[in-house]
Amino acid sequence: MKEAPASPAPALELRGLTKRYDDGTLGIEKLDLSVPDGAFFGLLGPNGAGKTTVISAVCNLIRVTEGEVLVFGEPTSSLRARHWIGLAEQDINLDRFLTVRETLLYHGGYFGMERADAERRVDEMVDLFELHAKADVVAPKLSGGQRRRLLLARALMHRPRLIILDEPTAGVDFELRQELWATIRKLHADGTTILLTTHYLEEAEALCEEIALIRGGRLIARDSADGLRAHYGADTLEGVYVKAMAR
Amino acid sequence: MTGYRGLLWLTRRETLRVAKLWTQTILAPVVSSMLFILVFGLSLGNRIENIGGVDYDVFIVPGLITMAMVQAAYANNASTIFQARSDRYVNDILSAPMHPWQVTLGFTLGGLFRAFAIGVALFVLAVVLVGVPVKEPAALAAAVAFGLVLFASLGTVVGIFADSWDHTTFINNIVILPLAFVGGVFYSVDLLPSPWEEVSHFNPVFHLVQAVRYGFLGESDVSIWLALGVTAALAVPAYLWAQWLFTSGRRLKA
Repeated sequence: MKEAPASPAPALELRGLTKRYDDGTLGIEKLDLSVPDGAFFGLLGPNGAGKTTVISAVCNLIRVTEGEVLVFGEPTSSLRARHWIGLAEQDINLDRFLTVRETLLYHGGYFGMERADAERRVDEMVDLFELHAKADVVAPKLSGGQRRRLLLARALMHRPRLIILDEPTAGVDFELRQELWATIRKLHADGTTILLTTHYLEEAEALCEEIALIRGGRLIARDSADGLRAHYGADTLEGVYVKAMAR
Repeated sequence: MTGYRGLLWLTRRETLRVAKLWTQTILAPVVSSMLFILVFGLSLGNRIENIGGVDYDVFIVPGLITMAMVQAAYANNASTIFQARSDRYVNDILSAPMHPWQVTLGFTLGGLFRAFAIGVALFVLAVVLVGVPVKEPAALAAAVAFGLVLFASLGTVVGIFADSWDHTTFINNIVILPLAFVGGVFYSVDLLPSPWEEVSHFNPVFHLVQAVRYGFLGESDVSIWLALGVTAALAVPAYLWAQWLFTSGRRLKA
């Protein structure tokens, strides 16, 4: 794995990012956003606000209409930048032909890991996410919670420096949510930059150091949870969200 | 090693999928083609005069092997890519640090692996059953390479454009299979009356069958250079089309 440049470049920088879909829908418009290296950053907004579009642009999964996306100072289209990103998508998108172990191993291979290193890392991930009993089971035979864990394990497999979590706890039970929170917090404590989108305001408040609110593809506010509460004169983040989205 | 390990693992993933589903991906087409050889060659073949001095059961083997291989190359790539799009695990590949040419090549090699496995199995069985020779191995290798690249690439393109499983099977059932049947697999087009003989020359599968037949038997209805040239002239743009789709992201990325 290549090291990120020593320069103080932000982990993620969006410059004038615009995405207009083929049907004319404007996903995001002239979005500027900078996420510092080592931050735990939340992206909040209603359905259709552009959260997943931002993530897709960062991960090279959409054709950007205009603007620039830089990851640790490198254009996101570069192979170096892609090495540094780990993505856990909102939808379960696991390869149905691969077992848990193969899913992780092949992902490591796609991301350029040497086989011996990838095999060691698979063992670590299987341990971390308690997937031992299902290590040789194919993805369609896993429970919902196990699939969610595997998605997260896959995102971490190649030791990315920027982890993007698109609603990672959507549809999971309380216990698993707490487990995932603990894992994510530990990653952050180890210096990994995390970009999180979520519908759960308490999740954003519990985890994120900074939160950006987006609506209609535009950034409308950005601050810590305390800063947002003060700015909007609200007692809770829920109050902030309601006021911000109503404007 | 930028992207090369990714290419290796993608190719490995594609061959693993073929191996895991071997009864569907390899055994079924081998059995199906063997039935053609047994029914048309060994049964009906006794009642058909030899063609160009070649026994009928030997004459049909190159065409049947070609038909099985090109269908497999097409079906493999159309299905694996459509499945990856449908289940969205293609995102794991598209977001990986691989060049588009490496992704195109990885998928293509998967299709070639499946087709080649079928071709080798059929060849071995055909040698045992009817003693088919290989008189021009270089021509055979070139014909198989161009033909498989053509149909694996076509499968890639269809897999990228398809909106349903029906679309992927439609092309196989309505385009490839009929073209193979009228492409001289079971007969020499020299036996056809005008204008059907001339019309057959516009069938791209006809040229591929002729090139493969030349490789096996040392004779064909058209010049080997024309047959190889036509197949290559189709294979190159088909591969470039598949490559362009991965490079541009059309239909793969919103």
